[in-house]
Parts: sequence; C-alpha cells; structure tokens
Amino acid sequence: MNINRRGFFKVMGAAGATAMTPAAGARAWESAAPPDAFGCLVDLTRCIGCRKCEEACNRVNGLPAPEISFDDPTVLDTRRRPHEKSYTVVNRYFPGTLDTHDQLVPTFVKLQCMHCQDPACASACIVGALTKKENGSVYYDVGKCIGCRYCMVACPFEIPAYEYHDPVTPRVMKCTFCFERISKENGLPGCAQICPVEAITFGRRDTVMALAKQRLKDNPGKYVNHIYGEKEVGGTSWIYISSEPFEDLGFPSLPDRPTPKLAETIQHGLFSYLWSPILLFGVLGGIMRRNEKKNVHGKDKEARHDA
Amino acid sequence: MIRKIMVWAGVVMLGACLCSAEVWKAPDQEKAKERAKELVPFVDAVKDDCKVLRRVCLLDKGIDIKDVETTYFHLESPIIKAREDHYGPVRFAHKRHAALIGDCTACHHYRPKDESMSETTRCSACHQEAFKADNPQRLGLKAAFHQQCMACHKQEAKGPVNCTGCHLKNVPDHKELVKLPDDADPFQVTAECRRCHDAQAEDMLTTAHWLWKGPSPFTVKHRKDIQHGKGTTALNNY
Amino acid sequence: MTHNPRPVNKKFWTPGVYVMLAFMAAGAVAVIARFTGGIGYVSNLSTARPWGLWVGVDVATGVALAAGGFTTAALAHIFGRHAYEPVTRPALLTAVLGYTFVVLGLMVDIGRSWAIWKPMFNWNPNSVLFEVAMCVMFYLNVLYIEFLPIVAEQFKNSVRLPGTLALLNRPLEFLLQFADRLLDKFMWIFIIAGVVLSCMHQSSLGSLMLIAPTKIHPLWYTPILPLLFLTSAFSVGYPMVVFETTLATTSMGLADEMEILTPLIRITIFTLGTYMALKLGDMMVRGTWVYLLDGTYQTNAFLIEIILGVIVPWCMLLSLRVRQSRSLLFTACSLIVGGVALNRINVFIVAYSPPVSHSNYFPAPGEFLVTAGLIATLMFIYRFVVTFLPVLSGSREVSV
Repeated sequence: MNINRRGFFKVMGAAGATAMTPAAGARAWESAAPPDAFGCLVDLTRCIGCRKCEEACNRVNGLPAPEISFDDPTVLDTRRRPHEKSYTVVNRYFPGTLDTHDQLVPTFVKLQCMHCQDPACASACIVGALTKKENGSVYYDVGKCIGCRYCMVACPFEIPAYEYHDPVTPRVMKCTFCFERISKENGLPGCAQICPVEAITFGRRDTVMALAKQRLKDNPGKYVNHIYGEKEVGGTSWIYISSEPFEDLGFPSLPDRPTPKLAETIQHGLFSYLWSPILLFGVLGGIMRRNEKKNVHGKDKEARHDA
Repeated sequence: MIRKIMVWAGVVMLGACLCSAEVWKAPDQEKAKERAKELVPFVDAVKDDCKVLRRVCLLDKGIDIKDVETTYFHLESPIIKAREDHYGPVRFAHKRHAALIGDCTACHHYRPKDESMSETTRCSACHQEAFKADNPQRLGLKAAFHQQCMACHKQEAKGPVNCTGCHLKNVPDHKELVKLPDDADPFQVTAECRRCHDAQAEDMLTTAHWLWKGPSPFTVKHRKDIQHGKGTTALNNY
Repeated sequence: MTHNPRPVNKKFWTPGVYVMLAFMAAGAVAVIARFTGGIGYVSNLSTARPWGLWVGVDVATGVALAAGGFTTAALAHIFGRHAYEPVTRPALLTAVLGYTFVVLGLMVDIGRSWAIWKPMFNWNPNSVLFEVAMCVMFYLNVLYIEFLPIVAEQFKNSVRLPGTLALLNRPLEFLLQFADRLLDKFMWIFIIAGVVLSCMHQSSLGSLMLIAPTKIHPLWYTPILPLLFLTSAFSVGYPMVVFETTLATTSMGLADEMEILTPLIRITIFTLGTYMALKLGDMMVRGTWVYLLDGTYQTNAFLIEIILGVIVPWCMLLSLRVRQSRSLLFTACSLIVGGVALNRINVFIVAYSPPVSHSNYFPAPGEFLVTAGLIATLMFIYRFVVTFLPVLSGSREVSV
C-alpha cells in the first residue's frame, strides 16, 4: 500500500481543522415545537360515543367506506386501533364507575395521531417525509416516502398505519389534523366540526391548554388531575382530560422526555460537521503511514526510494 | 307480481298525499321555521349567579310557566347549518317541557349582564359559533343544544338520547341516487326502490297498507280481525 | 509467509449447491408474491410491528456479520500486520456480498423499493436511519472498489471475449490495467474510509432503537446501545473470519489456516472482553439484572445471548488449547457469531414489545423463505466467486 505523502497531509490538515469545531456543532438539544400551533382538547367526560367524528373523518379525507356502518353501535363492543382505512376510532371503556341505576358508566375514548410537539416519527423519517408544520400538524408527504416504516417503530402511540397490501405504492396512513382545512381561515378539523357535544375543542394549543386547566379548576372532583399530552413525550398538540384515570382508558404511560432527544443528541454530538469521522480518518491515516514507513525501512528501502 | 304492482301503487298514493300536503301549512310550524332562521346579537357578558340565586331571582320577578309565549320551537340555526347539515331540525315542545320541569333555570341558567335585557333569552343569544378564539370556554350552539337536552334526558331517564330519537335524517337528493331508464316500467321502479329500501319493503308487506286489515285505531275496540273490508269482502275497485 | 491467493480449482456443481438453488427458487417465489400481493401478503408485519425478520436478520444481522471485512482490513492494511493478509480477501468478499444482500433485503422490506434513491436527495440529518443509509451506500461503493483489484488481477492481460465482442477486448483490457494502477495509488483512502464508515454505521444501527424507549425491553434499551453495537461488531469480525474460513476450507478441501487464525483470534479476547464488560457493567449500573430471572421469553433470550454468545466463548478463547484446536476454535467462534446475531435479532425483534397494542409477532413462512433465499443466494455467489476469482489462498491447497 502506497500513501501519497502530499495527499496524506492534505487530509490530515482537514481533519485537524474540523476536529477543532466539535463543540460548536454539539449544541444542547432544543425543542423545535412551533410557537403558535393549533391544538385540540378532548374532554372525555363529554364524549357520547356517537362516532360522528369517525364518519366526518372518513368523509373529509375520502377514505373507503367502512364494512360496518358508522350508525351501528355494536362496533363499540370491540376495541379498535386506527388503521390504514380510518385515521380515528372511538373505543368504549367501562372503568368501573356506576350511575344512579347501578349501571356501569361508559367512557368513550377517541384515538388519532397526537401530533406531538417534537414528533418521534419526524425525527426518525429517513427522507423527512414527516414534518411538524407551523400550524401544529404532523404532515406526511407521500412524494418523499420510501416505505421504511421507521416512523411506525418510533411512534410511542403506535398510530401510523401502513397499506401493507399495496405492492408498489403503499402509503403511511395517519390523521393529518386536517392540514389543508385548518390552514384556511376559520377552518376546522372534520371531527371537531361535527362533534355534537364539543367533546373536541379546537384552538391554539396554549388556548385549549388554559381551557383544560380552567375546567379542572372550575369542576373540583370531576376530573382526574392530569392533562394527558401536556407533558407526555414533551407535549402533544392533542390533549385529553378525563374523569377516569388514563391508565384505565388504554392511554400509555409515557415519560416526559421528548422521544427524539436521546438519539438526536448522540447523533448531533458525534456527527456535527462530521468531526468524529474526519478525526478517525486522520488518526487511522497516521497509524497507517507510520506502519507503512516501518515496512518500507525494514523491507525494500531501495525500491521505494526510487518511486 | 300482483304484490309488486300494489307496492308501486302504494308508493304513488303516498306521493299524491305528500303533494296535496303542500297546500296546507301548519301555522305554528311555519312560525317556528321563521324563528329558527333569525340571528340575534351576541351576548358577550353574562351574570354568573349560582343556580339557587337564579331561581330566587325569577321567583321574585314572578316569572314562571304562565309567561311562556312560544309553545313550539325548531331547534336549528344558520350558525349550525353553515358548518354541518346532516339532520333535520329538532321539534322542541317548549311549553310542554316547561310544564314538565317547572323550573325555567334548568335551561335559562344565566342571564345577560346588561340589566335592561330580558330575564330569559334564547339559547342562540349566548351560544353561537363554536371555538371562538376570544371566548373558548363558551359552548357553540350545536353543543349547547345537545349537552342540555341529552344530559337532562339521561339524568331523568326520560326522552330520547340517540340521534334519530329527536332528528329526522336529511333525505339525500334522490336525483343522483335513483338510476332508471327513461321509460321505466312499474316493476323496474319497484326494484330500484328496493335496491336500497329492501327492509322497508319487507316491513310494508306486514302492514295494513298492504294487507288491508290489521289493528287500527279506527276499528271497533281496535280489533285486528276485520270481517268486512277491502281485505275480505269489499270490492277492490281502484 | 507468501500470500498467493488464486481461484479454487474444484468442481462447482456439488449437492450443496443444488440445495442452495432450491432455497433460492423458493425465495424467488416469495419475493414475487411480495411484489404482487404486497408486504402484507407474505409477512406478519402490522401497524404495531412494522419491522420483523427482514430488518432484524437481513439488515441488522447482515451488517454485523459483514464486520469481518473492515476489521481484517484495519488489521492487515492500517495496523500493518501483513501476516494476516490471506484472510482479508475472503473477509472482503463476505463483506461485499453481505452488504449487497443488506441492500437487496431492504428492497424487499421497504414498501416503495423503486424510491430507494430518495434519501440521496431528501436529507433528514436528525434521522439515525438516514445516517445509516448514507454510510451503507458509501461503504458498499468502497467495498466494490476494494474488490475491483481482485477482478483486475484475474482478467488483466487475458481479456478474450468471443466473436463480435472481441472488439471490446482492447478497451476492456485498458480499463482493467488503468483501474488496477490507479486504484493501487489511492487504495489507502478507500481502506481507511471503509473502516471509518463501518464504525459509523455499525454503531448507529444501535442508535436506531433509541427512538423507541417505551417499546424496547429495559435489558437492551440503554443509552450506550450504539457503543455496544460497535464493540460487538469489533468482536464478531475475526470469529466470523474463522467461521467462514473453516466452512470454506472444509467444504472445498483446502488446508486449514490455523497458523493465521490462532494468533488472529487472540485479538478477539480483548474486543469481546470489552463488549462483555460494557454489557454486564451497563446491566449493573442501570440495575436491569432484576429482570434476569423473570422467565419470560425475552429475558431467556437475553440470558442465552449473554451466556452462550459472550461469556462461554470468551472463557473458551482464553485457553491456548481451544485456540489451537480447529474444532474447538470453530465452536467458540460459532458461539460468538451466533451470540452477536442473536443480539441483533433480540434488539430488533425480541426486545420490541409495543405497550399500547401488545401486538405479538412471529415471522410468516413467506418472510422465512425470502430470508433463506437471500442467504442461499449469497452463499451461492460466494462459492461461485471463490471458484473463479483469486480470493482464497490457494498456495496451501491440499490434494484430496
């Protein structure tokens, strides 16, 4: 192996210069949540399980007709998850509270993408097909997607679904927060607009967060003292309040730390300006050159000297 | 075969009845419709009394059921229709509810802060558009209706709580749905109706409209087995 | 020691090759099914379990077991231990084939295979997967460039295409000569780049799962996961060389290369020891040893991985008798290879349990067929290449 002397010093110089700047690149991780984004407050004490939100979602997003009609209440007998043909589903839970007639009181839970403040899916996406938009929605650009499904691995709520039965052009399917609709003046998400009881309140995230806190304060004893989505995984655009503990309603217990923080900190710490690979290249080059020299001196000194 | 012709004939008769109904209009319904179309100025500030004080206040002023002017409302509004329009209006018997409950504050829970305004206002004075940015805690009109009616019906275990218990579903425009050739014969028409309304057609076969006999409020003692009539002895002359 | 690799002069069509062909045919059927019916048609993947056998084995394990390429290159070319050069070529071939099949496996696994080029133009620097993809792409090119001299060596001065193709003889000959000479000058860049790129993506493969803290079992989820992946890649490099050299020399009746393998594996005592210390230390520091005796399939898989895959072979390697015995060394190295493979499968499949839907996953027959078919194709090509190109050290070939 023959290392060209000048070439080697060029590379080493670049390595040294770049290695000086790691500190500048490895800045502390900061949330990239948009400042004035929209959000939705879901008040589970209001939801009556009518599934109008599912129906509206299906209509405004042009999704295929369901096998069982939206008017059929027997659908609620099974627990469902959002899937590639429906962005949102309502499930019924009986956490154990009885009404005055000794009947179990149902609590209905609407599920959809939570539109995290710092979405794990957007951090994970290899091509940046998923992005957190200024208006708060986590937006999917099918034109960039390659179908690696790392977003689905990353999502702590297990929301993104996939068109597994499309052989060539499958899409990741999830709630869009009605991105186009809410981008317009006075536009509302389909589900929030149709909800007959305003179980879903749409507004700026800090507005609905204040509203949630106000409801907790104004109705002592009615709600559990927890706004789900205020702090979970660094906060979500969709937040929930409930009269029943969230653990009993199928909500996952999640840490407050934004999901992408650890991986992004490691990645940026190591690879800002590619300082570590360049440094490693320089070090290995140095070792290689030293060993090369030793070899040359030891073995065929004359032959190399001519070259 | 004969059955099918008769079903078709029934449909024609029903249509004829509906056409003739257009001539006469129920005056209270027309009034309710007009009233539902009105938009009233928004009341921003309300007097936030507790329920007991509010009741005392109404008692002091001597406001009770005798003051109920409107007996019948259509619960709908352009505010609601602007966003979603899937159901017909709810026909709300105002006076009847007032009489049953005997407490105006069950619905008229707040009054406008402006003392010059009427003690009781209509729902849409305070509840209008949903999700107003400057007033996010105020319910929109649709949610105010639903929360008020359904909560009370549940609480009292009385009155409907499902959608079609109060609303008629809007009939979709059948111009788009019905697919018939220009010179359709009666059988094709019946078959086309039954394409979507098969269950209703089956149901119809068990009713007096088809059997020409059955329990009726107009038979003696509501008897079912009529010995005489179109089903049995009378001449079917139509 | 003279290092004189040359084509193996042996019969190509053996019964083993026919078995490989059978697996390849079955795999091809499954691949056709995947590209006509969709991923859902042949696999058990779901919303909650988006990654399965194909990512866990074809990609993660494939990359780990191709570590022989960069570890031997670093040893022989960078650290100047030229005595080990005989094993660099087979290791390089394994890496070339391994990474090629990582890419082929990815083509089956990603939903829009035709869009695989898109990461080159749509960058997401926050994405660990983006970094891995870029490294793998560059590394694959580096590997092909490193392999080019082997092709040139065999065919330069002897390009004899038949018939009308003979017109191309001269330009091809020129190209080969030119590539050979040019590459000799710049090969050092590619060799170092190969090692650097490998260090980057071997570790980043571990960072991939850091994005799912609630889904990965705490026995595996640790912030030092990338470091564990890197050290385990270092550890599995030479055992993989021993593993495949022993298999190749046995199946083709070549001389064992124990005089190289015995000293080579001493380095593994150090690297595997580091990996073991990190893994056990991490378990102690985070207190995850409390899960060890849970008795669930996850903790059992961890126990097998750490005891059979790390501790036992490390203790075996400490003994000189093991290092000098062909069969014992092969056993120890197989355990290490199996241990690292199991680690990748554990991290990507076993440790992954979605907490919301509790969805279970076991690979569908279609998934197994695709993976088995890919591995069979890889072995088939390996055999084909060593038969016709100067990869294995033919000088010590023994007559059978």
